[in-house]
Amino acid sequence: MNEWPAALQEIIEDFRDCFDRMERYELLFEYAKRMPYPLPIEDWTEENRVQGCQSEAHVECVIDDDDRFHIHGAADAQLVQGLMAVLAIGVDGLSPNEVAQLTPKFVDEMDVKASLTPSRANGFLNLFEMIRAEAEKHAK
Amino acid sequence: MALDLDSIRADFPILSRRLEGERQLVYLDNAATTQKPQVVIDAMNDYYANTNANVHRAVHTLAGEATEGYEASRTGIASYFGAPRDNLIFTSGTTEAINLVAYGWARANLGKGDVVLTTEMEHHADIVPWQILSKECGIEIRYVPLNRETMTLDMEAFEIAVEDASLVCVVHTSNVLGVRNDVERIIKLSKLHGRNGKGAHVMLDAAQAAPHERICFPELGCDFLALSAHKMGGPTGIGALFTTTEIMETMKPFISGGDMIETVTLEGSTYQKGPHKFEAGTPRIAEAFGWHAAVQWLDQYNMKEVHAHVSNLARWTAEQMENIPGIHIYGRHDLETTSGVVSFLHENIHAEDLAHLMDAGGFAVRTGHHCAQPLMEALGVSSTARASFWIYNTKEEAEAFVNHLRGVVDRFS
Repeated sequence: MNEWPAALQEIIEDFRDCFDRMERYELLFEYAKRMPYPLPIEDWTEENRVQGCQSEAHVECVIDDDDRFHIHGAADAQLVQGLMAVLAIGVDGLSPNEVAQLTPKFVDEMDVKASLTPSRANGFLNLFEMIRAEAEKHAK
Repeated sequence: MALDLDSIRADFPILSRRLEGERQLVYLDNAATTQKPQVVIDAMNDYYANTNANVHRAVHTLAGEATEGYEASRTGIASYFGAPRDNLIFTSGTTEAINLVAYGWARANLGKGDVVLTTEMEHHADIVPWQILSKECGIEIRYVPLNRETMTLDMEAFEIAVEDASLVCVVHTSNVLGVRNDVERIIKLSKLHGRNGKGAHVMLDAAQAAPHERICFPELGCDFLALSAHKMGGPTGIGALFTTTEIMETMKPFISGGDMIETVTLEGSTYQKGPHKFEAGTPRIAEAFGWHAAVQWLDQYNMKEVHAHVSNLARWTAEQMENIPGIHIYGRHDLETTSGVVSFLHENIHAEDLAHLMDAGGFAVRTGHHCAQPLMEALGVSSTARASFWIYNTKEEAEAFVNHLRGVVDRFS
């Protein structure tokens, strides 16, 4: 089993407590509302667009003065925004080094990957890769 | 006589499949592809297990049987569509069939000054080839608009536009709205008034029509009829372009190579006559066997009964869905001619989310622009969710679908 950052581990456990797929979706809808830094629609650009999503999804990474990593993002589909929020909450305030070392396998442990169609899974992997690459760029 | 749904369903092994959590599959994505009856699976398996050989060349026993079966499939499939065997060109599906009209016929017969008239209701397969050809040889493309009020083609606009058209390309039945265009009138007007009274050629995209009604190619009187096997119980990877022998003689092959030639020398080649001229390379042999089995299977049923069953299910479902708060339906389910498609959106649940939430209940529905982005634009949306019924779907499945959708809306909106 992987070691995940504490906040992400807590979320993973939340999902593992769900009774079925509908309940996991319900929780993803809840997380969608908790996106810590929602990206306003006027800031959605081609540059920050996540490729491979059936829906519109946009993400930007911000590294603050204390070298802490924050994800700003939004999507028009709630399940996509929910996955984005899980990641944004799960890694918020970590160093770029820590974020760069993450793998997308936490989705397997949340037990939502089986619910992802290939197009959605690719969309999620693209989102994850955009974030990881940005973290790697700032890693020391 | 009502269709015996228990017996029909028993022919489709996949329909008894259980999904995650022992949920019964309810397959409502038939407009994308239908499931296959056991006879189709058996025909293809049997071909590979007992007959497999390349066709049209070798003299050994297997090659003889494969050729005979492949050509018998052409005869049987053509006959299902009321046509002689030499009117059927096998293609990979409707898309390749339309491309064959564009690159085989239009490129050789149309040019600057010619108008290809198509519609806002088309699948991308009936838009993109014309756009590419227009850049290549200067044809002009015009689009008949959708009447937003009636969700049908604006036939007044068609009547005016058809006069300048050399080729009219129209979808028989919409994959998004389920609306059946008045193709008989479209053909008649095109022949009477098209090309400034000299008569236009007409191509029908019948991909969504073939599973719903018995199409007789000669009776329709269009010049080209494009369709796919996999939307009518047959395998993927095969379809047909129907056209007459006279028109085939005015067409040039756009895919060339083996099997379509008469002789080849280093200086040049001569081509086979008839459909073979357009079927270069090793053909889709097992698929032809499978499609033949599918039309034989469908032939047991009166397609008017099949259409009534499917259309009634869609109508009932659409009527029930209209009572679910926030659901908007796109289409004309009050019309008897409408197919089994119900396109819908919820005002605050994204179509993609809807499809996932329906899938969690075992309901396979489609979401997206359905390869019809201009139609989406005309409807003022970027995508829809779509439930589509076929011969094996039951009223109980429709009821379960509506109930699950109601639950999803209660819980997630």
